[in-house]
Amino acid sequence: MKISNKFLFAVFLTGFSIYLVFALNPEGASRILLNLLTFAGIYGLSAIGLNVHFGWTGLLNFGHASFMGVGAYVTLLLMPHAAGREGEITSTGLPFIFALIIGILSAALFGLLLGLPAIRLRGDYLAIVTIAAAEIFRLLVRDLESITGGVYGIINYTENLQQYRPNFINNFSESFGFSPSQAWVCLLAWVSIFFTVIFLKRLNNSPWGRALRAVREDEDAVRAMGKNAVWLKLQSFMLGAGIAGLSGVFLAFNYGSLETTVFVPLLTFYVWAIMILGGVGTITGPIFGSIIFWVIISETDRLAFMLFENANGQQLAGVRFLLVGLLIMVLMIFRPSGLLGKKEELLLDVK
Amino acid sequence: MSNSLIEVKNLKKTFGGITAVDIQELGFNKGELTSIIGPNGAGKTTFFDLISGFQNSDSGDIYLKDKDVSNSQPYKIARMGMVRTFQLTKVFDRMTVLENLLFSGSEVNNDSLIKSVIKSKSQRKYEENLKDKAKNILEELNILHMADSYARELSGGQKKLLELARSIINEPEILLLDEPLAGVNPKLADDILSLIKKLSNEGITILMVEHNIEAVMKISERIVVLAEGSLIADGNPNEIRTDRNVIEAYLGKDND
Repeated sequence: MKISNKFLFAVFLTGFSIYLVFALNPEGASRILLNLLTFAGIYGLSAIGLNVHFGWTGLLNFGHASFMGVGAYVTLLLMPHAAGREGEITSTGLPFIFALIIGILSAALFGLLLGLPAIRLRGDYLAIVTIAAAEIFRLLVRDLESITGGVYGIINYTENLQQYRPNFINNFSESFGFSPSQAWVCLLAWVSIFFTVIFLKRLNNSPWGRALRAVREDEDAVRAMGKNAVWLKLQSFMLGAGIAGLSGVFLAFNYGSLETTVFVPLLTFYVWAIMILGGVGTITGPIFGSIIFWVIISETDRLAFMLFENANGQQLAGVRFLLVGLLIMVLMIFRPSGLLGKKEELLLDVK
Repeated sequence: MSNSLIEVKNLKKTFGGITAVDIQELGFNKGELTSIIGPNGAGKTTFFDLISGFQNSDSGDIYLKDKDVSNSQPYKIARMGMVRTFQLTKVFDRMTVLENLLFSGSEVNNDSLIKSVIKSKSQRKYEENLKDKAKNILEELNILHMADSYARELSGGQKKLLELARSIINEPEILLLDEPLAGVNPKLADDILSLIKKLSNEGITILMVEHNIEAVMKISERIVVLAEGSLIADGNPNEIRTDRNVIEAYLGKDND
């Protein structure tokens, strides 16, 4: 296999960001790194799903957080958990793997339901509908307190997954001072990325992947050739939503308790940033994009502190976001198609 | 039952107060090469949009092979064997020329998600055959050397060729060509014209909207003239050349 310069550059930049974590944190760097990699894995998986929507099919989906949310809530509620103000205990439920499968399917179904009325809309109209639908979902979950725990959220569910944690994770975590439960979630997230990437690589060069890209380029021409563009878009919506649902479940297990504020629009925009950074329309791009993004997010306060030694916490927070914006801008100026994207296929010129 | 492959009755379409199409009766016979001409705004493209399902009519019926297809989805009409091109070329810019053709040539059930995951031997074979077929067409149209370029890199005329290639790969019964010669250099225009003639000789029914009157007169077997949405003349090129209504529509009324 020929390794391109782009790929080497992405690997180098990712390696450099990981090095930065060690350079900026004299103490506890490996713990910070594990935390980073866990988030990077979860968000990266979500961005891979978003890439099916936007990169392959050209669907401007700004409601990605709701797909993650549906996956997370359905999975958690099907397993033993405690929820609500009084922490009402539900002691029976499905084993993790079955709940997970139903959760993923629910996210895909939610994609279908949202898609049916909305998907005939084009470009920015679809963006508006999806962002509104995601907010409706979030507020609905917040107000259905008797089922979802509302603002008090869901707790005591992590054991459903942690009981399957293999011993080597415990030994490994002990020697590095990791949290074993986080290490387990991290491993599962990255294993999921691995299989999702293999699955999508298979699809990318297939007739189905080709059909999605044709829809992205020109729906009218697709219709004129006897292909059902709406159905193709719905399939894409379902697949991407399912992948997002899976990542939502890992997000919930990483937090250890789940409430609706996790699924605010900011989550969607983080996933978008990761996708754009990694390269729209690529499969592995979001993985690199995600690691770099999380290093930037978490290490910029260190950087801000080094730059402005006398600043107080509030000022530092401001500087931090300024630096995040600046770094992303610089990356986009020098590589507008993202780390792995092809210049010829630059997808940000949405019609 | 009529002899016509396509038949429209009392077809009407208005935009606000403007009548875009208002045709009482018009049919197109199997194997005929018909051109639709008329001044700008005569409703030619709207007529194409109506019969190919891209716009819904206000009233009236459209029959394709004796089936009522009024207000059907475009893809369903296309699956019945009627393929169209567009006035503003619609190629898949960020796909290669070959991919453009492969997508168009691929049958609907070959595009299925499940088959694409499984990648069975029969599907791979199908794709190989499709690739050969696509390359043959590209060779015939002299754009084989562009097969692996992105379609956006083609010149305007080559895009027209690609769109034409994409429309014929599945051997349609009826071809609707919307200004196949617009913006094409004279040499290429000749090539496209002889290709259209060849397709017609192979038995494909062709409807063509075109402004290049010289070309239209040269290759058409029948010419239909629209003005302000209505049918004002219908006949062979010689009849149309001398038709008073047509001359008036193009040159304005004679004042004497």
